[in-house]
Amino acid sequence: MNQRHLAGGLVDGVHDSQHTFRALLDAMARPGQARRLGPALPGVALGGAMARLLLSMADDETAVWWQNDDAGLAPWLRFHTGAPLADQPQAAAFAVVTDTGQIPLLADFAQGSPTSPEQSTTLLLELPAFEGGVPLAWRGPGIEDVTVVSLAGLSADFWRQCQTNQAGFPQGVDMVLTCGEWAIGLPRSTQVQPALER
Amino acid sequence: MPSNLPTDLDICMTTELPVNQQASRQAWLAVLARASQEDLAACLPTLGLLPEVHTIRPPEVGMMMVRGRIGGTGNPFNLGEASVVRCAVRVGEGPLGVSCALGRDKTRAKLAALFDALLQDPQQHDHLQQILIEPLAQAQRRQRQSRQQQAADSKVEFFTLVRGES
Repeated sequence: MNQRHLAGGLVDGVHDSQHTFRALLDAMARPGQARRLGPALPGVALGGAMARLLLSMADDETAVWWQNDDAGLAPWLRFHTGAPLADQPQAAAFAVVTDTGQIPLLADFAQGSPTSPEQSTTLLLELPAFEGGVPLAWRGPGIEDVTVVSLAGLSADFWRQCQTNQAGFPQGVDMVLTCGEWAIGLPRSTQVQPALER
Repeated sequence: MPSNLPTDLDICMTTELPVNQQASRQAWLAVLARASQEDLAACLPTLGLLPEVHTIRPPEVGMMMVRGRIGGTGNPFNLGEASVVRCAVRVGEGPLGVSCALGRDKTRAKLAALFDALLQDPQQHDHLQQILIEPLAQAQRRQRQSRQQQAADSKVEFFTLVRGES
């Protein structure tokens, strides 16, 4: 483990994490609307939103699963938050997915139980862009009527899994989609369908 | 949390030293943790020009449970919580220096972390060990001995005379 690569954390721990938490709350309450979380942190090879989410949400009780950690960021998160590593997606409270081409099956992550649905994994997905993909209609709590979102980098198979995920409500995974400084919430309660009428 | 975690995560995560040198780092960290802010600040001017100091973890105050053998049987027991302050800095592109000390003095924590970082630098190590760590270690040892002496002087021996036939 090379500690020379340990980068800094949030500059103003209290206020930065409160800002991130508020923005995440808004993003999950209004699925499909992007919220700005803040600029990237120096020396951290993650988008600003992803890095700030991890530093604000992870602690010593939330195991984090990394899809790939080529940049050696697990020790960095460990140092700043004490978050243990999850070796299986099933064991993770948070999952960091940076390669959207090879997202594991959503069913492989912790789904929670009918009595404790909150014990499911929250996926953090870094997308190449929030526009330019197939337009999809999102409906559900927090969305007035319908909102059309065309996220890039996500396959049709992924969206089919999302529909299955939503059908299993109240169990299922929640997702936060990030791109650079921005984040969009995709909670398990949101129904995703092809935007045929447009 | 897995139970096989090292107790002091900071030190275990930030050491690049081989095992036999870890003990000496622990020794200087122990001295730095007990040093006063004045002692540490007094050593600063002798360092000359330093590369930029990056704060990896700004000084932060927290609580730590202190355990002690306070029961009649000598078993460890939760004595109470103590304020601690910890900090991590990096000098230039060098190794990471950490500190953890009793109290709430953030300046002191930052200085201690800075000196830990510099002590890991082979070019600075001998000089600092000589002018900072050894004098401080001696002073701390003397202080500890004098307190132990005071406690020993006040020790009372109780005798019970045996009465009658036992």
